[in-house]
Amino acid sequence: MSDSLILVVLLLAVSILAFIFYPEKGLLNKWRSIKSNNEKILLEDTLKHLFECEYNSTDCTLTSISGFLSTSQGQSSKIIVKLEEMGLVKPIGTKIYLTPEGKSYALKIIRIHRLWEKHLADNTSIREEEWHTLAELEEHKLTDDEVNRLAAKLGNPLKDPHGDPIPSENGEIPEQKGIELADLKEGDIAKIYHIEDQPLKVFSKLTSLGLSPGMIIKLIEKNKNNIRIECEGEEININPILALNVQVVSISDSEELIESHDTLSNIPVDEEVIIVGLSKSLRGQQRRRLLDFGIVPGTVIKARLKSLSGDPTAYEVRGTTVALRKNQSDKIFIKRKNIV
Amino acid sequence: MKIDTKHDDPIIATANKLRWEVGDYFHDSLIESIYKEAEVISAKVVTTAGKKSQFDFDKFIDRVVTSKWTGFPIMFLLLAAVFWITIIAANYPSGLIASVLVDTIHPLLKNLATSINIPWYINGVLIDGAYLAMAWVISVMLPPMAIFFPIFTLLEDFGYLPRVAFNMDNIYRRVGAHGKQALTMTMGFGCNAAGVIAARIIDSPRERLIAIITNNFSLCNGRWPTQILIATIFIGNLVPPIYGGIASAAAVVSVALLGIFFSLVVSWSLSKTVLKGEASAFSLELPPYRPPRILQTLYTSLIDRTLFVLWRAIIFAIPAGIVIWLVANVNIQGISLAEYFIRFVDPFALFIGLNGVIILAYVIAIPANEIVIPTVLMLTVLVTGVSGVGSGSGVMFELNNIEDVSMLLKAGGWTTLTGINLMLFSLLHNPCSTTIFTIYKETKSWKWTLLATLLPIMMGITICFLVAQLWRIFASV
Repeated sequence: MSDSLILVVLLLAVSILAFIFYPEKGLLNKWRSIKSNNEKILLEDTLKHLFECEYNSTDCTLTSISGFLSTSQGQSSKIIVKLEEMGLVKPIGTKIYLTPEGKSYALKIIRIHRLWEKHLADNTSIREEEWHTLAELEEHKLTDDEVNRLAAKLGNPLKDPHGDPIPSENGEIPEQKGIELADLKEGDIAKIYHIEDQPLKVFSKLTSLGLSPGMIIKLIEKNKNNIRIECEGEEININPILALNVQVVSISDSEELIESHDTLSNIPVDEEVIIVGLSKSLRGQQRRRLLDFGIVPGTVIKARLKSLSGDPTAYEVRGTTVALRKNQSDKIFIKRKNIV
Repeated sequence: MKIDTKHDDPIIATANKLRWEVGDYFHDSLIESIYKEAEVISAKVVTTAGKKSQFDFDKFIDRVVTSKWTGFPIMFLLLAAVFWITIIAANYPSGLIASVLVDTIHPLLKNLATSINIPWYINGVLIDGAYLAMAWVISVMLPPMAIFFPIFTLLEDFGYLPRVAFNMDNIYRRVGAHGKQALTMTMGFGCNAAGVIAARIIDSPRERLIAIITNNFSLCNGRWPTQILIATIFIGNLVPPIYGGIASAAAVVSVALLGIFFSLVVSWSLSKTVLKGEASAFSLELPPYRPPRILQTLYTSLIDRTLFVLWRAIIFAIPAGIVIWLVANVNIQGISLAEYFIRFVDPFALFIGLNGVIILAYVIAIPANEIVIPTVLMLTVLVTGVSGVGSGSGVMFELNNIEDVSMLLKAGGWTTLTGINLMLFSLLHNPCSTTIFTIYKETKSWKWTLLATLLPIMMGITICFLVAQLWRIFASV
């Protein structure tokens, strides 16, 4: 009997331990998250929120801050007072602005956040959904020295895995700055960033053509008298003089327009196809391995053999046979030979 | 808020500006253009003579070994053949080496030592301790490794093993590991230290660590004899004599399969927890088949694998031999250190269905699993005071007759539960010191070495405890 008692005690002990140490839902974790919710983090998060408002040219108010931090208005105003005392923010009326010092502080936090996301994407196998949450914690921890070492290790990247720019060590970040539509080369793909609203006549002419900011376009042909673009499946001719008022930006990584949605995983054994691109979600070491095998746009690749259970599949590329898993070949875009 | 184009050095200022324009993916374009250039050059200068034969030999073999119907049978038959050859062919040289090193040279050294009046304790430490442990390790370790590794390497050289990894990858992908782990695991059946070294073939950091940490779940060459002996004595006896052989063989195979099961479960949980932060990248090349280079293979597998591992084992066996002799011979108030320890851990050990002798044997025989049974026998004689067996305290020995072993162990208080739990504990305990050292050498990290060492022993204690409790509950009903 005493033995079964021991068994019960043991099971109880295991469940208590699980209750305390269980990831995300355990007591230990809850206690940690409460503890980490301290003042420094609130201050830094506020600065970050204020910076993002300014970067996107919207106004920040006490309400939006307490919404962002999920705190009460009273607590938020205490934070603002504290930040004002530190000389980091300056309220004007109901709006709150960052001082230059506040701005550089905020950029420092954003730099850590985006570098850490880049690190998680390239050097670990942690899933995409967790990057942001982990970076939110890490951004309050790293020292300047650690951050610079991390950046050097990552090769001083320019963009985080979401395509957002990473501020440099001195807090430099490129402004969302457009170029003239006419400066695009034939075949370039870009996003309309800005349509100048002066003079009004030109503006209404452009809008009547169906153009508006945010649209992704492709330049088909340009000459002295005409610029022809493709936009949402339609071809539009624009007078080069009108086009002077249209500014475009290069599209970010997440928005890339991939013409071919046919992937390597779709082809049957013995079919030969041409690679047109590698998805941006193949990152870090994984991407380098594939490139090293010569899996680059323009390469001819042939499915050779399926494994016993159907995954992975072996492909012939440049004289060698390489096995790829389906979750990899799903991310390699191809075009079929017979369609060409 | 602007790009640093005002840098003192105009070149750096320009570079900073251009960096933002070039973007992060310029490496891709770089590699693409390198391949384009190379293609142009090779098209100009490389000519291929002759035309391809009609029959693609490689393709034929590939079709056969990856087919749904023939793939698995071929794999199992080949691996079974490798093990069978190893076990059968290793018997004879093993006996030969043992008869020379243990039965001939050992008494010779003892006589020599006595004739030149070396004090008995130096004689004991050096000859019964250090020398005997070394001799034992060489005679039981060398022949199987010298047979297993060359055959394995020949299969690798021929090009078959990458196909095994290719076939098995689906299972390993699901547990977050690499198909090549099937190979390092199989290598682990020969020797865990060699399996750990073999994990170099996995180039993805996370998957390589998983393969290294879980390699110990492959029942290595040093543990098979323990399993077979204990199964014969304790499992074979549970059924009518004619089925004894089958029952004990089934028990040993079940333990080995349990090991494979644990290696998959542990791989899965490692990849979901502590190893989440390591990079993962899959790639598996399938080289063309080619006739194996037999001489070169023999040379590299003997030098790189067999002798290398053996040398490390010997280095660890010598101090362990000394310790084994000392614990059995250093007496405090007439009781040896070994007995003190055994009495001290006995309550806990019996509670988890083992006994103090087993625990002590696993502690002091850490250099090689091969000397666990000789140490257990020696300690049992020491504790029970059975006379007429063995060759003196602190001197490891083996008995040729299984009945004698059985009698001795039962005199030491062993039950069927002890036998079953010893089989489980032999599967789930810390790796031998050679393997631990190799894991450190390969990972360069104390963290992973400690994890690989402690994880299996924790599992072993837990499983033995659970089995003992269940056993007692059902036995009392």
